[in-house]
Amino acid sequence: MLVVFSDEIKSQIALTNNETRPSETLVNVTFRYSKCHMMKTLKATLLLCCCMLCVKAMTQTKTLTGKVISADDSLPVSGATISVKGTSRSIAAGADGSFSLSITQQRTTLVVTSIGYLNNEFVVQPTQTNIIITLTKSAAKLDEVVVIGYGHQKKSDLTGAISSIKGGDITQLSTQRVDQALQGRAAGVFVLNTDGAPGGNTTIRVRGMNSINGGNNALIVIDGLQGGNLNSLNPNDIESIEVLKDASATAIYGSQGANGVILITTKLGKKGKPNVSYSYSYGIQQLRDKLGVMNAAEFAETANAYALTRNGSGATPVPIFSDAQIDYYKTHSTDWQDVIYRTAPIQDHELSISGGTDNVKYLISGGYLNQDGILVNSGYKRYSLRTNLKTDIASWVSAGLNWVGTKESGNSPPFGSADVSFLGNAVNVAPRWPATEPVYDSAGNYWVHPPGYGVPDTWNPLASAKEPLLDNNTNRNAINAYLEFKILSGLTLRITGGAIIENVNNRTYYNQKTYEGRQNTGLGIVDEETNSRYQNSNILTYDKIFKQHHLTVTAVAEQQYSKYNVSSVRASDFLVDQTGVFDLAGANIVNPSSFLTERVLNSYLGRINYVFADKYLLTASYRADGSSVFGANNKWGYFPSASVAWRASQEDFIKNLNIFSDLKLRASWGITGNQAISPYQTLSKISSGANYPYNGTETTDLGFYIANAANPSLKWETTTQIDFGIDFSLFNGRLNVSADYYKKKTEDLLMPRTLPGYTGFTSIIDNVGSVQNKGLEFEISGTPLTGIVRWNSAFNISGNRNKVLNLGDVDMLGYRTTKGGYSVNTPFMYLVVGEPFGQMYGYGYEGTWKTTEEKQAAAYGQLPGDPKYRDKNHDGKIDLEDFTVIGNAFPDFIFGWNNTFNYKNFELNFLIQGTKGNDLFDMNRIRLENPAEGTSTALLDRWTPEHQNTDVPAFIDQKTREEAGLTSTVAIGSDQRIQRWVEDASYVRLKNITLSYTVPRSIVSRIKLSNVRIYASGTNLITITKYKGYDPEVSSYNGNDAQIGVDFSNYPPCKIYTFGLNVSF
Amino acid sequence: MKSKFSYNFILLLFGVIILTASCKKLDEKPKSFITPENFYTTQSQVEASFAASMNYLWDYWGGYGYGQGNFVNDDQYYGGDLVIEHNWGSDLWNAHYAAILNLNAAISAMKKGNLANTTEPDVIDQLMAEARFLRGYNYFMLVRMFGDLPLVTEDTQDPVNAKITRSPVADVYQLIVDDFTEAANKLPATRESTEQGRPTSGTAKGLLAKAYVTMATAPLNDVSNYQKAAEYAKQVMDEGVYSLVHDIHDVFSTATKYGPEIMWSYNSNYEDINTDPQIYRPGLLGGWGDISVQPEWEQQYPESPRKDAYLLTEIDGVPYQQWSDEQRPFIKKFMYDNQDDFDNYSSVMNMPVIRFADVLLIYAEAANMANGDPTQEAVDAVNHVIDRANGYVDNPQHPRLTTSLSKEAFDAAVIEERNQELCFEFDRWFDLIRKRILKEKSIPSIQQNFSDADYLFPIPDNDIQLNPELTQNPGY
Repeated sequence: MLVVFSDEIKSQIALTNNETRPSETLVNVTFRYSKCHMMKTLKATLLLCCCMLCVKAMTQTKTLTGKVISADDSLPVSGATISVKGTSRSIAAGADGSFSLSITQQRTTLVVTSIGYLNNEFVVQPTQTNIIITLTKSAAKLDEVVVIGYGHQKKSDLTGAISSIKGGDITQLSTQRVDQALQGRAAGVFVLNTDGAPGGNTTIRVRGMNSINGGNNALIVIDGLQGGNLNSLNPNDIESIEVLKDASATAIYGSQGANGVILITTKLGKKGKPNVSYSYSYGIQQLRDKLGVMNAAEFAETANAYALTRNGSGATPVPIFSDAQIDYYKTHSTDWQDVIYRTAPIQDHELSISGGTDNVKYLISGGYLNQDGILVNSGYKRYSLRTNLKTDIASWVSAGLNWVGTKESGNSPPFGSADVSFLGNAVNVAPRWPATEPVYDSAGNYWVHPPGYGVPDTWNPLASAKEPLLDNNTNRNAINAYLEFKILSGLTLRITGGAIIENVNNRTYYNQKTYEGRQNTGLGIVDEETNSRYQNSNILTYDKIFKQHHLTVTAVAEQQYSKYNVSSVRASDFLVDQTGVFDLAGANIVNPSSFLTERVLNSYLGRINYVFADKYLLTASYRADGSSVFGANNKWGYFPSASVAWRASQEDFIKNLNIFSDLKLRASWGITGNQAISPYQTLSKISSGANYPYNGTETTDLGFYIANAANPSLKWETTTQIDFGIDFSLFNGRLNVSADYYKKKTEDLLMPRTLPGYTGFTSIIDNVGSVQNKGLEFEISGTPLTGIVRWNSAFNISGNRNKVLNLGDVDMLGYRTTKGGYSVNTPFMYLVVGEPFGQMYGYGYEGTWKTTEEKQAAAYGQLPGDPKYRDKNHDGKIDLEDFTVIGNAFPDFIFGWNNTFNYKNFELNFLIQGTKGNDLFDMNRIRLENPAEGTSTALLDRWTPEHQNTDVPAFIDQKTREEAGLTSTVAIGSDQRIQRWVEDASYVRLKNITLSYTVPRSIVSRIKLSNVRIYASGTNLITITKYKGYDPEVSSYNGNDAQIGVDFSNYPPCKIYTFGLNVSF
Repeated sequence: MKSKFSYNFILLLFGVIILTASCKKLDEKPKSFITPENFYTTQSQVEASFAASMNYLWDYWGGYGYGQGNFVNDDQYYGGDLVIEHNWGSDLWNAHYAAILNLNAAISAMKKGNLANTTEPDVIDQLMAEARFLRGYNYFMLVRMFGDLPLVTEDTQDPVNAKITRSPVADVYQLIVDDFTEAANKLPATRESTEQGRPTSGTAKGLLAKAYVTMATAPLNDVSNYQKAAEYAKQVMDEGVYSLVHDIHDVFSTATKYGPEIMWSYNSNYEDINTDPQIYRPGLLGGWGDISVQPEWEQQYPESPRKDAYLLTEIDGVPYQQWSDEQRPFIKKFMYDNQDDFDNYSSVMNMPVIRFADVLLIYAEAANMANGDPTQEAVDAVNHVIDRANGYVDNPQHPRLTTSLSKEAFDAAVIEERNQELCFEFDRWFDLIRKRILKEKSIPSIQQNFSDADYLFPIPDNDIQLNPELTQNPGY
């Protein structure tokens, strides 16, 4: 009892030691007194004093309210930790910086800490009940902690190239997708929204393309669990995103690190009373821009004009549409894009509860997203639930658990290069159907396009969009748990176990009102997939500071196992359309298929981070990966890295300059791998499918053949990267600049290596190719204004230059990107040694021949108004020898510029983002501008003697051509690999703009809330581009990065207007 | 404190153990497909490799289904010019070697005893004989086109990585003779109707006779083989399993595609059609006119019922010279499909590899050459073919042969009979080669393009580039 009280006293003494206070005098007096008197008296006095103190403390508490604000802009600092000095009591301030704390009425010292700010101590006078605490920002946020592979580091101690994005920056946008939120945020990170479908796809490339066949997707690591999925993440759950870019940062992920690593850390509650926050947003989505198509009367007139050119060999053509019909069409026109696109709502609810005690921290969040797509019959729903828990079991052991479950259902009628005919692809056919066609016939059935004009082979666009039954569901569960032991001072062991289980359950049915259904008498597809990944990481970390040395050693043993199980059924020839795919027994033709793959990755890795005197930084790491997918002779790959950095700003001679608040030079080197070998690719395989009627009966006989040769030496693709970087801060941290130069060489690319024919094989997958990437990245951020209007701005720009160095046996690889019917049946996308990814090859196009050029045109057998192709070799002929580069799909530069303005309770945020120098091959225009069937308004702009300044060729009639008696030397036939369809797809876009208002606390507190924010937001409101298609950001063929840059009937992106509300209490 | 230390020590030890342990092995064991090591364990798996080997050869565009292009420089096809370029025949090279790969794998597995647990020894013997028959056939085609060959057998270690060299023609024929002999000894003499498309011992003997008669001529010119050729051909004739179809118009009808005359062929049925029959027909009959007949060759073909049965020279009484388009004869042999099949682009005709008429003519040729002049049996053999060609009446345009002919004259007459009887059946080119009469038989307008190099196709450039140990044939 006495001891306890004594401790209390000591703590009181400690609390009050540095300042003169009445109680101190009292205690001191008491002590002095005690020294001079008998023990009994001492005990009694002490007891008395303590009792008095306790009673005083208990009876004389008060409620202190306050607010934490930032010194330089007076804005609230949310989430600061306020602790009573000398006690273990602490609480967290709310999102608006406010807090409420019960303290004694004595003078009390509060210690206030918040990441990014200098720690502050604040003395509360006995009389104060409401205080304002100001915090000063720490220079350049250098004490921020950044998550790195298998650990974390102070930002100032980093030696690698890492871009860090805070969760708050993402939730400022009204986005529901983490991958999209990355766009424009980090230098060197190229995010391409390949289609605009709800729940659609993105391609993320960190520092260019390393691989041709191995995949270029960055490794996603969510809370330490590798192989996560960005789509299913709820952006509100994210604490931070780190993009690891150079080899120093990524080599720790070894054979998975070559394409960069995106680390995602989710939130955990802070100590204090539960914080409940709720967000709601409602948005409407609209087609951003329609394709220019003719109205019914214009189409009829154009079709007539073209029909009248068919007057060769003395034929007398007749117009397709009569004058009366054209008159009728003036008032009866169908805008097919209006028919299949709609204004679609999107709504999102998020609820989270977080908090914690001394021993337990938690976050529970749930989300519901419901997005209708702008294309009829498309939509996306996501239900998500997350539980993050951390608990200290004892002083030497703690445990944590993260679980997230999501259920997604995303459906869209087929678009782009989907595995169905484009004749029944609504996005494709809607602009191609003439406006003369009604949606339904008089009986209410879908209108069937009549023969004789337009595109009679295509299917009714509305039927194509509306009729397919699409029921696609994905359930994901990710669980990750750990135990962390503090073994000795500075030595911790963390044992983690995690699993990601994905179940895909898709049902598709094309009934007989659809093109596919009509072709197949009903077509049903069932797809069931289970993808399970398991990971165990055992991380031993030793972290010690002695004198000027700071040493962190990390050693990890890790094993990963994944299993992918697929079974699918494709059924056709259904007797009953109504039951369709839900009664497969009713189908006459049922083709099942199934497969199973497994892969194992066993790894050992280690890393040393060493800092001397806060100036000289060294990181070295080494990883050994044993992968089941590697060949038997190469089961283990080794990935070293090393980097150094010098914080010059810590040197006196720099300090004395008084310019830099921080200056750091970095250099790194390392080797990473890409283990994107499919399971079993190194083994020889027996395949079915080489059937032959060997027995000579009426049925064929099964033929099984050796499909490929074994390659026991097959291994990872190896990327060697160097990086030089500089980070500096000026004006006391108000301007921060980071710049990096990198150069990567990827060798041992997986490519088919041709084999001699006598082996019986044509090729074998081998490590033969090589690709180089180099680039520059700049990130500049700062606070140009700090007064009553505060302006934070962050700009990043990066350029990557890519070169194919070696393709093995060949100099050139062509990639076909076509669905047929577009006269691009031979490749126009090429990988060429010495040239970058994304090269487009074809015939140069220089517009149309003018009347003044009649003679030159005649040399090619052409008339004025005919297309003018580039005669590259000047031989008077246009043929394959004139084949040339007509475009490149990848940008020279990408950039993003994010701005936040604060004025009182208002905040305006906008992100401008764009690309420069990339081209798109717009395949759609080939048919839209085809004179015989096209609907594009471009045909109205066609060449006429009066209108020669156009690149749209004239409708020249056959008789005129016959009379001219010319022989054409344009020998490209119907080949449409022409530059005419290549357009500059550079763009600048106001990606997002958000205006928000935080309701003053004085109002909010009356309704027992701690924070209320309302906002209005717009996405994709303004796009500046020369590109004529739906959107400059598109890619229809994504099987290989060499095919990026083709626009073919992809789901167009939309613009979104959103209104939202955040409430917390 | 001591206890805390030991506790920490245990934890540390635990950490070390967990850091070094891993439970999943890195060896791959695929579950949804099979590797060659685990295949060829049952009779039907081995037969599946036979079907696959034939599938390679009978590929729609690359193999014999549409493969006449490689033999267009004989004197029969229209369109040849005796210009044989680099990579000529490389599609056939690749197809035959792909077939050989699969057959070698099956042979190797059987040798290792993979079938022993599931299959009776006599069945294994037959399967082995069948695999070797198929391999022998592939090499027989290859050696006649390309000469010395990379000889890949079941004993060849790792042809993917090893830089193997070409074996002399004689060595290749040794393998062919061994394989065919094994097949001739072990294969059944007849097949049930459920297996009617498969080779018999008679098939093997017929091809063995053909191999020997080829070895007796260029390039080996080992005349001792005439006797062996005659012996094996005689065995086929004496066994009585095969015979000539009586009516010349029925030789290529679909009713007789599995005998009695056709001994072995590229098979087809509606599940696995032959090719688009349009390729053989002129535009006037709705075809594409891809493959037609050299008019000069047609003009020296004697008028006979056989000419009517094998060649299309007129439509509704209008001779080809007066057609509005494609003024050339066409190959009627391959027009015996019905109209429905034609309209559906699906020919179910078989393409014969060897038939009894061929065996008769091999016998006639070999017996004459072995004997020094025509024997009565040799004359009878060839006259069977001539009689049928003439509809069993005397035809002054195409008289029967007699024993009074000299050895050389009889030989030339037999080769000419082969020319007419076996036209467009992938046979004429090899006769021109082995008899070294390519130049003299070619039409005069293209003879200036002839060189001795034409007696062999070039080794494909791809293989030469990838394996410098391979030599190119002269003249390429």
